[in-house]
Amino acid sequence: MYVDVDLPARDLATRIAAVLDPVFAAVDDWAERVGGALARLGDAHLPPTAAELDPLVHDLVAPALQEPDSLVTGAGLVAAPHFLADRPWHLAWWQSAGSGELRRLAVETDPEADAFRDHTALEWWRGPLREGRSHVTGPYVDYLCTDDYTVTITTPVRFAGIMAAVVGADLYVERLERVLLPVMEASGQPATLVNASGRIIASADARLATGALLRRDGFAAARDRAHEASGPVVLDGATTLQACGDTSLLLVIGR
Amino acid sequence: MPHTTGRADTARAVVFSPLDGVGRAELVARRLTDAIVTGVLHDGERLPSESQLARSLGVAVVTAREALESLRDQGLLQTKRGREGGSFVTFDTDASARMLAERLRGTSRIELRDRSLFASAIAGTAAEVAVDRASDDDLAALEEIDRTADRATTAGARRAVGRFQLEVAAISQSPRLVREELRIQAETGSLLWLSLREPARRDRAHEVRRGVIAAIRAGDADAARHRTVEHIRSATEWLIDEKHRLDAAARTETSPSSGGGTLPPTD
Repeated sequence: MYVDVDLPARDLATRIAAVLDPVFAAVDDWAERVGGALARLGDAHLPPTAAELDPLVHDLVAPALQEPDSLVTGAGLVAAPHFLADRPWHLAWWQSAGSGELRRLAVETDPEADAFRDHTALEWWRGPLREGRSHVTGPYVDYLCTDDYTVTITTPVRFAGIMAAVVGADLYVERLERVLLPVMEASGQPATLVNASGRIIASADARLATGALLRRDGFAAARDRAHEASGPVVLDGATTLQACGDTSLLLVIGR
Repeated sequence: MPHTTGRADTARAVVFSPLDGVGRAELVARRLTDAIVTGVLHDGERLPSESQLARSLGVAVVTAREALESLRDQGLLQTKRGREGGSFVTFDTDASARMLAERLRGTSRIELRDRSLFASAIAGTAAEVAVDRASDDDLAALEEIDRTADRATTAGARRAVGRFQLEVAAISQSPRLVREELRIQAETGSLLWLSLREPARRDRAHEVRRGVIAAIRAGDADAARHRTVEHIRSATEWLIDEKHRLDAAARTETSPSSGGGTLPPTD
């Protein structure tokens, strides 16, 4: 009986991870390559410049943005404050503008300006800084940068012992739902995909809205157990939690 | 009997109605005027160039130029030539008060109430939904906006009200509510929050923020909506009273039989 429940949950988690893994792998790859480039371009006393770094980041992220039907709608690098030699605050972020065109995101980088926001206070910066690995932020309405309903994956770039930057990718929640929901519904399970804070990314249950929080007692403890277990763990009653590979996302099965 | 037209015909009428009530240059000029009048753009601040402005607003360069010219005519901008040149905001508090008073007098009570109702619909629903969607981080962000709010100046207090409502809309996780909130703030914000020139009203805005945060923390959606909507309603009533005072003062001024003609104090 228990096995009957376990296998489909694990199978579904594997399928969902397979959809997202290429994006995580790409972002990890960017982090590694940018880290390598930083070591080549500068040293701990003389960091590289934005002018040196930008073309490199552009060439790294462009293929993911130009690929037809790509989940990734924005990608790039955000430098730690005062890390780069020529720019105290710097973003090198591109968005797909349709038909293979890329548009560079313009953000206020003058701390004196009214529209300036310190990005080090935002979750997509604090997450990777705290966890030392890739972090999933959202779904959230990105009104500071792109005005879109977004999930952002950010990964630290380390240089000379600090987090010198993050590289990352923006995914439209709508596109994500369109890809994930058929997989979830095909499983025949009452499945809901949530991020590490229990915020709903997609659900087969019409009563669970994307963006809402799954408020369940003991969620954090069950989440930690789920990441250690190979199969589903009990959240409460007939509801189980299953980690989706290394994505930090979780599948909730049951109501 | 236009009001008995069936729903399908109404829908058809909307499809073929003009896209813009006013010209694009006028829309750009109004957006910039609001930003200057409300202190979002500061006195002495340099505006982006015509081409930068055109690009960021998605209009033609001639449209941006036309808008800047009309602002120059109103005395809101000054153009300097040379390397350090550009268009600079020239706007002091006196000019600000005068322009807002003029704008208030030119807006009917019906329009004021209608704008206020629309603002309540958006901000109230955002507050209600935010109760269900807010995480601890979201609450911390709201606390931070209230903590850093500048209650010493009108412009600072208005920015805090705007930032708080925008953050609440973002917490509701609805891109549409966020977009509408931004649009309302750009179009109506300057007028709607005129009451914040009174220190007591700034304190009240702070109390409302505390109340909304408490309601969100307690999971009380009705209270979150109610406090938000009441705040906007009372700001609107203040505005209509103020409009009444200004209209009455203007009547006294132009009336030959009256010896008066001084404006009543507005604070």
